[in-house]
Amino acid sequence: MSGLKRIVAVAANTFRETVRERVLYNLVFFAVLMTASSLLLGNLSIRQDEKIVKDLGLASMDIFGTFIALFIGVGLISKEIERRSLYPLLAKPLTRSEFLLGKFAGLCFTLFVNIGLMSIGLIVTLLATHHRADPALLKAIYPIFLGLILVVAVALFFSSVASSSLLATLWTIAVVVAGRFSDVIRNMRQVSEVPDWLVTALYWAVPNFRNFDVKNAVVYGDPVPVVALAWMTAYAIVYSAVLLGAARLAFGSRDLH
Amino acid sequence: MNVSSSTPTPALSFAHLSKSYAVGFLARQRRAALTDLTFDVARGEVFGYLGANGSGKTTTIKTLMGLVFADSGEARVLGLPLADPAWKARVGYLPEQPYFYDYLTPREYLDYVGRLFGLSPSVRTERANALIEEVGLQDSRDVAVRRFSKGMAQRLGLAQALLNDPELVVLDEPMSGLDPIGRSLVRGVILRLKREGRTVFFSTHILPDAETLCDRVALLREGRLVKVGRLDEILERDDRNLLEVLVSGGDLAGIPEASRTGRMGERATLQVTEPELLATLEALKRGGSRVLSVQPIRQSLEDYFMKEMGKGGGGPA
Ligand SMILES: Nc1ncnc2c1ncn2[C@@H]1O[C@H](COP(=O)(O)OP(=O)(O)OP(=O)(O)O)[C@@H](O)[C@H]1O
Ligand SMILES: [Mg+2]
Repeated sequence: MSGLKRIVAVAANTFRETVRERVLYNLVFFAVLMTASSLLLGNLSIRQDEKIVKDLGLASMDIFGTFIALFIGVGLISKEIERRSLYPLLAKPLTRSEFLLGKFAGLCFTLFVNIGLMSIGLIVTLLATHHRADPALLKAIYPIFLGLILVVAVALFFSSVASSSLLATLWTIAVVVAGRFSDVIRNMRQVSEVPDWLVTALYWAVPNFRNFDVKNAVVYGDPVPVVALAWMTAYAIVYSAVLLGAARLAFGSRDLH
Repeated sequence: MNVSSSTPTPALSFAHLSKSYAVGFLARQRRAALTDLTFDVARGEVFGYLGANGSGKTTTIKTLMGLVFADSGEARVLGLPLADPAWKARVGYLPEQPYFYDYLTPREYLDYVGRLFGLSPSVRTERANALIEEVGLQDSRDVAVRRFSKGMAQRLGLAQALLNDPELVVLDEPMSGLDPIGRSLVRGVILRLKREGRTVFFSTHILPDAETLCDRVALLREGRLVKVGRLDEILERDDRNLLEVLVSGGDLAGIPEASRTGRMGERATLQVTEPELLATLEALKRGGSRVLSVQPIRQSLEDYFMKEMGKGGGGPA
């Protein structure tokens, strides 16, 4: 119970940090982008115009979100160690696990707020250009958010394992890029030098961010079954839990200096 | 009130504590930072932890606070093993060169720390305000820490270490970065804690401070304990014979340059060893000086420190 309170305290402070460090400024870019697109696209045919706004909105949420999850995520732990801001805190009744969870939850909340505000921005743009605020958009936005949580988990893992922020950043970028282009890994099978088992192992080990990409289906009005969303949710939860568990193991017994 | 009388267990105890750090290419070698450290700090005591740069003071304190892990041996805090989280709410800790979140003000930071201690909002506010006053940050209570000077950060560090009303306070170089006013403030805080029956364990390089404040000190050299004990015991050991002579007027030409330690107008102070005393008094008489007082003086901790550290320089030969 008091453990939960401490996690919330750390999470709240992490959220406050992202706000004060102006992480939410990406929303300004998003607003400019949405406004510009609605103005420029005014003279295309109505159908196309709607698709382009949706496409652009969802893609920017995904990209902005991924950048925030990645670059703030890798600093979550390593920066606290490098600057030693963590020292006084760990001498309080705050365990390392609670600290990790609080950091994770805090950044996830930042992303939630961010994605939420961008969603509102997208809907406002659609309404302003005389379109419907299509509820099916949520079916694309929700998986984007799940994907971002997973990116945070990857970043947090490397942040607690790596000896420097730079290494953590490089590793996280490598894994996130590999996970976004996991087809490339699969296609490595055609390269004879790489053993098949290695390719398969890599393909399964790297989180598959493509699973979360249903933007096109939603924009073109194809159905996205609830079962698929449930699977994505389970995938994101299990994968993040494994990463957090591993982070906890590595970070829990590590000398801080 | 006085915690020491009710509980017999030491505030801190170290038993054969050793710690090494990985060094070198791919961290393949280990270098000892602490070797077989064994001593206790009693309840209610102000305890100074002394040693040259790199002697292992910070390593000891980081091991206590769970920031690094010992290779072998054991330490206990308030009678509890390090791994038992129960002592953490009863202990305050000021890290060396503390860093706090840039984007928070002292009030916000202390509130955050208070939440980690599980204090209620009213207690948090009340204590934060009182401590901000005590450490002299009242004019900067709403200034973001990024604008803080080193000494201001040190003061905030002291405040956060005291927020939970701790029984034991562990301070890693509490005086560093502070101006004379700040240092005297820290001394005042340490004395207040002592009066209230709390235990203070602090590392420092500022030996006169250790000398005025500490009941006992430990001296560390290259990770090994050289000495631990009461200050008067440690310091009186080899300088019983040093005397200070206060004189007025006259000609001091007959006195060796080395014994003249101070001059204030008419008055002068001389430091001599016991065997030299008679000859000195004779010389003073010849020069026509008036002897105001002769009293034994103790070697300062600084002298002792220099001698123990094998650097020489201070103190009588
Ligand atoms: N992170 C580290 N990695 C490797 N060696 C370290 C590390 N931290 C400290 N050491 C070594 O351990 C020894 C003790 O260092 P420590 O910081 O405990 O000394 P200290 O007594 O606090 O010194 P100072 O008075 O300068 O603060 C030194 O030899 C130092 O080089
Ligand atoms: Mg130190």
